[in-house]
Amino acid sequence: MAEKLLSIPLKEEEIRDLHVGDVVYLKGPIFTSRDMGHFTIKQNLEEGKELPVNFEGSAVFHAGPVVKKKDDGTYDLVVIGPTTSIRMEPYYKMMADLGVRAIIGKGGLAEGSLKQFKETGQVYLQAAPGCAVVLADGIADIENVFWLDLGVPEALWVLNATKFGPLVVGMDSHGLSVYQELKEKAEKRNKELYG
Amino acid sequence: MSKYKDLYGHVYDMIYRSTTSISPDVEDLMNKALDQESNPTAKSMMKAMLDDAKMAGEKVKPVCQSPGFPTVYVSFGDNSVPGEDLKQIWAEALIEGTKNSLLRPSMVHTLTRKNPGDNSGIGVPNFEFDYVPGQEYLEMLLSFKGCGAELANAMKIFTVAQLEKGNDFSGLKRWVLDTVIKGGGKPCPPGGIGIGLGGQMDVACKLARKAISTRRWDDVNPDPMYADLEKELLENINSLGIGAAGTGGDTTLLAVKINAVSTHTAIAPAAISFHCWAARRTGVRLYPDGKKEIIL
Repeated sequence: MAEKLLSIPLKEEEIRDLHVGDVVYLKGPIFTSRDMGHFTIKQNLEEGKELPVNFEGSAVFHAGPVVKKKDDGTYDLVVIGPTTSIRMEPYYKMMADLGVRAIIGKGGLAEGSLKQFKETGQVYLQAAPGCAVVLADGIADIENVFWLDLGVPEALWVLNATKFGPLVVGMDSHGLSVYQELKEKAEKRNKELYG
Repeated sequence: MSKYKDLYGHVYDMIYRSTTSISPDVEDLMNKALDQESNPTAKSMMKAMLDDAKMAGEKVKPVCQSPGFPTVYVSFGDNSVPGEDLKQIWAEALIEGTKNSLLRPSMVHTLTRKNPGDNSGIGVPNFEFDYVPGQEYLEMLLSFKGCGAELANAMKIFTVAQLEKGNDFSGLKRWVLDTVIKGGGKPCPPGGIGIGLGGQMDVACKLARKAISTRRWDDVNPDPMYADLEKELLENINSLGIGAAGTGGDTTLLAVKINAVSTHTAIAPAAISFHCWAARRTGVRLYPDGKKEIIL
């Protein structure tokens, strides 16, 4: 089990070096995106529109913050924590094609993502669920925001991370998923208990 | 107008306390679970959760970025009817809490997904009213329940054969464990589950949500049969190894709460409502003479 501080943009070798159980902190710009954010990316790509940020080597955080609007129209971050990632599973190929290297969230993704991660060199990082005050401590400020018409939770926020974490590698680029492994063990145990 | 003086103030205080802290019974259970945990990752996750709840109170920030969905459980008697402005007061207090950054604007139109930006909306908050003849006070219990947890919920209309009555209800128990396994890390473990039994689909679902939202997580079911079932399910669920955050550990749930009523002879409805660890809920009793009692 290793503990690392990685800088964004992330390189493929750095990601291939990570294994399930490793602890990671991130530094640099982190993009938030959830249900409507992913849907909007898909729509823009289909319509041939340019995206507001470059996802090459990026870390995408499944999250929507609590923010406070300042007098000058910019935003202060109040708190932020992970949302349940499985809802974004249908978009794994699109995110891989965009060059996303790390996906941060809670609860993990499914088999499609796991296969994709192995092929492209990506990783899933589990953040402490519900720990929005603790996690916001690792972010200096909000750099930018796009698609605010989707509402505060669904907009694409660019967070300036100084030491964001701790994040645990839940799915790696070697075909391992802690969620899958635990699920199989738990199913066996249920069979022992109740047939 | 309500006969309760400053009802708005009481309601706003409930929103304030609910968003910036977790229920003390849940905090105690989490502390005990942390002491007994053998998995280092689970230990660090639970430590982060307890630190987070503490920091939220100190910094006056929401414990979690998502307020979940609010339901208010209201009970009253003939002499403690809440008054016609109750729903409006709650709706306005939620909007003020949102303006003050206690709540993220999370309520949207279910199909268009349009977000009004202030947590207003039809059916927000949801109310569950209960008329209790002879109750002298107005009781309000606010529960913000996270929605990652909702993604793990399940409902099933069992038949007698499927319950496996002759085999000590193994069919029901296997289904409960299977639902927890499928939920994995999605509902932000270690939280709790409410199990609603009986009635029809609507009844079982409401009972499940109410059980985990309104009961103290450290209480004991007054019905010995259900007390035993809660204990057995909790112990066996915690032997599954899913753990805090769903990345492995000894505590997957802090509580299993069963709420049961009778049903029709053809069916056995069962519903499971998941609750995340961040149990944001507060309750008060208001008496017509102005006395206020905090129950959660």
